[in-house]
Amino acid sequence: MTWVARMLAGPGLWAVLFCAVYGLHGLGCAWDWPARQTPLGPLHPLGMIALWLAGLAVHGALIVLNGPGGEGTQAGLIRAGNWIGAVASAVTLFPVIAASTCG
Amino acid sequence: MTDTRPAIAPNPPQRAIRLHRELDRVWTDLPGWRGFLTSVNHGTLGLRFMATAIVFFGIGGVLAMLIRAQLATRDGAFLDTALYNQIFTMHGSIMMFLFAIPMLEGLGLWLLPKILGARDMAFPRLSALGYWCYLFGGIIILLSLLAGVAPDGGWFMYVPLSGKTHTPGISADVWLLGVTFVEISAIAAAVEITVSILRCRAAGMRLAAMPLMGWYMLGTAAMMLVGFPPLILGSILLELERAAGWPFFDILRGGDPLLWQHLFWLFGHPEVYIIFLPAAGVLSTIIPVFARVPILGYGAIVAAILGLVFLSFGLWVHHMFTVGIPHMALAFFSAASALVAVPTAVQIFAWIGTMWAGRVTMRLPMLHVAGFFLTFVMGGLTGVMLAMVPFNWQAHDTAFVTAHLHYVLVGGFVFPMLAAITYWMPMICGRFRVRALGEAAFLLILVGFHGTFFLMHLTGLLGMPRRIDVYPDNPEWEWLNLISSIGGMVMSAGFALFALDIAMQWLFGRRSRRNPWRAPTLDWAMALPAPSYNVASLPGPGRDTADALLPLARGEGLLPGAPRGRRETLVVDPGSGRPDHVAVLPGNTALPIVTAATIGSLVLLMLAGLYPLAPLAILAILWAAWRWGRIMGTADEAAPIPVAPGLSLPEHYQCRNTLAFSGAVALLVADGTLYASLLFGVAFLTVIAPNWPAPDSGLSMLDLWLAGGALLAMAGGSLAARLAESRRTRPLGGQAALAGILAAILGLALLAGLALQLDDPTRHARNALRGVLLGHAAVHGVIALMMGLRSLADIRAGRVSRTRRGAAPVWRLFGDFWLATSAVSVAVVVLQEVLA
Repeated sequence: MTWVARMLAGPGLWAVLFCAVYGLHGLGCAWDWPARQTPLGPLHPLGMIALWLAGLAVHGALIVLNGPGGEGTQAGLIRAGNWIGAVASAVTLFPVIAASTCG
Repeated sequence: MTDTRPAIAPNPPQRAIRLHRELDRVWTDLPGWRGFLTSVNHGTLGLRFMATAIVFFGIGGVLAMLIRAQLATRDGAFLDTALYNQIFTMHGSIMMFLFAIPMLEGLGLWLLPKILGARDMAFPRLSALGYWCYLFGGIIILLSLLAGVAPDGGWFMYVPLSGKTHTPGISADVWLLGVTFVEISAIAAAVEITVSILRCRAAGMRLAAMPLMGWYMLGTAAMMLVGFPPLILGSILLELERAAGWPFFDILRGGDPLLWQHLFWLFGHPEVYIIFLPAAGVLSTIIPVFARVPILGYGAIVAAILGLVFLSFGLWVHHMFTVGIPHMALAFFSAASALVAVPTAVQIFAWIGTMWAGRVTMRLPMLHVAGFFLTFVMGGLTGVMLAMVPFNWQAHDTAFVTAHLHYVLVGGFVFPMLAAITYWMPMICGRFRVRALGEAAFLLILVGFHGTFFLMHLTGLLGMPRRIDVYPDNPEWEWLNLISSIGGMVMSAGFALFALDIAMQWLFGRRSRRNPWRAPTLDWAMALPAPSYNVASLPGPGRDTADALLPLARGEGLLPGAPRGRRETLVVDPGSGRPDHVAVLPGNTALPIVTAATIGSLVLLMLAGLYPLAPLAILAILWAAWRWGRIMGTADEAAPIPVAPGLSLPEHYQCRNTLAFSGAVALLVADGTLYASLLFGVAFLTVIAPNWPAPDSGLSMLDLWLAGGALLAMAGGSLAARLAESRRTRPLGGQAALAGILAAILGLALLAGLALQLDDPTRHARNALRGVLLGHAAVHGVIALMMGLRSLADIRAGRVSRTRRGAAPVWRLFGDFWLATSAVSVAVVVLQEVLA
């Protein structure tokens, strides 16, 4: 059954990352983070971008480390799970670099 | 390809008729009304679920005809506004909660043991409990319509409209309590289906090679375990607000109506996929049979199911695009809504490719499959349109959305279910159908459906809102509505003809030969109509297709017959399908209907506002639960059961990782989701809602001492449960169980002390949320206490031993859950105070 856990790792990471970025967005809006400046820009989008990029890095690590090679349906499903999670995180959270935060 | 699975030697052949009689004696229902009330057989209950769902579909359909009659002209005087509101609310609620979900549950209960090679589902009594809760809850909801007090706030019951101020009386309570009562059956089915697919497959059937229907239903069940708890929590919170004035959704007192929308759509959007996935499983089962080739892209379809299961939980806010959510959040959910079309499209192309690769014979089930393609693809495309925020803002709350959701639900569920019924009818009744009626019904349904809903896109784009009963100032909508109404009547005639066709087949059809479609799957490896026990011996490696029909009937498979006079089925390792042990399943019993009646009595007392009497109903529920737990222990020290030559397996009493243990884990997943939804509510109101922080914040030292003491008592209870399991023989096991019981009582007493310290929950949402956190802990304390008492009783009665663990492993699970969630609750409350 460990292969099922490995298959679920990618989508599971997307779920965690989606909740974390969405939660951070809500907290930042409530606590007025867009008004707080850092040397690299406003704190709010910066925090979300950093979290998104960190999550994408973990997705990349999953793709490299979790089940490369291997034959058969199980290995294919593990690889598919890795990519589903990575693509979902990349697409659904890309607005952190494109949209205004709390408007 | 070489079969690499370990071989299991066949049992010697026996006379099939002798095996049939022996098994039927054990597995069949009691005769007459006693059988109706006491059956726990998956075949009976699955059919009963589906038949009841079809009756509710008929009722919902009649309500839809009334709606169409009203809207046929702009000054329709057929219904007054109040009744119209009740009717459209009941139409949506019935179709969603009393037709679609029970229909898929019934299909799963009826089909899964057959297609996976088992004799029954993992928890037959749970199947029956689910059915009775569904039936009783459905009757309560339906009676409210006859009594003129039906819900009238729309099937998603938005607050503040459904709050006490705007909806006095009991109509909203009927929805909240009735639907929650019905949803017990959904959670029961989800637990049941999850465990059955993982643990009750044919020996040697690997998870990665099981029929696609298994994957689809596993995905559905997982989604139900996670998708339904937010709705159940929302219903509890709204009922608490209505009944006791706890202000979760009242802005003036720290609540927020948007919390209801979040909780509802956290359920509501995954619900669409919960309905679609079993239907897609039907398509993946039927299409290869009629195309005469294996399904194309098995792995890609499983991956698509995986993607759908996860992504469907990231879409819910697209139902709330117009409520004033920041742009970035809109963009998250818009992107996810568009992305979810990809795994859906993967399946569509796999089905088209399968048909392309084979030679399709257009028998009646395939006609309905064609109806699915035509309808669902259009619904999917309008779904992508609605996922785009600017278009959504324009089309929101118009007839365009009504058209879209009907294209998705009728295309994605009703047409596949019609295909499923026509495909499996020979197995249900053992007869062929009567020619031509079915084809005529299909055409009427298809033409009538598109006649009704295609034009509704246009009506919506012309600006007609949903749920209005007259439109005197908009004559331009009238001809569109009139055609839609005529289409609706044509569609209804089609469904009536379909029902007539099924009745004719059941009553007058020719006797069907075995496996009439020449399908390869295990569900057809049995006599028609399917016997109560499914197969005389269970499938194994090399005997797991429909071709094994005769060897299985002669007892050459595993665990042949019923020589011990008990209902036995094989339990396997979840991944590999390796035989693990033999589960002894319960026989016919009235306990499920009695339990459902006790729960129903609580619902009725709440509806009647007789709250002081509610504890009596709760005591009755606890009594039924106590009786339920008896199956976890036995006084018999049985020898291993011969399953096949050279293979004997222990009974479930002698194993730790039993079906009950797996079921408890699955239930705790749902329970954990409910708790997580509650934490979401706490976070949402604390951070987003206006009128925070609450007045008079502050925790006293006494509060902290009481909470700390309760957590210590819970930890002691968990430790005692471990000792009770590891030293389960008397006297040490009994002493540990007694210590665990005392710890649970102490924990509950300290929680009661905390409750007395609580600020008035009606004053602010913060206090109300703390009351709910406390109530959550108290409920789990009672469960842990009951488990401890069961363990102690079993130890004293000699129903556990060195080899038999009884209820202790499950007690440990619930004890640990009680401790963990309570600790998090304490941390959350402290954090609230720190941040205030």
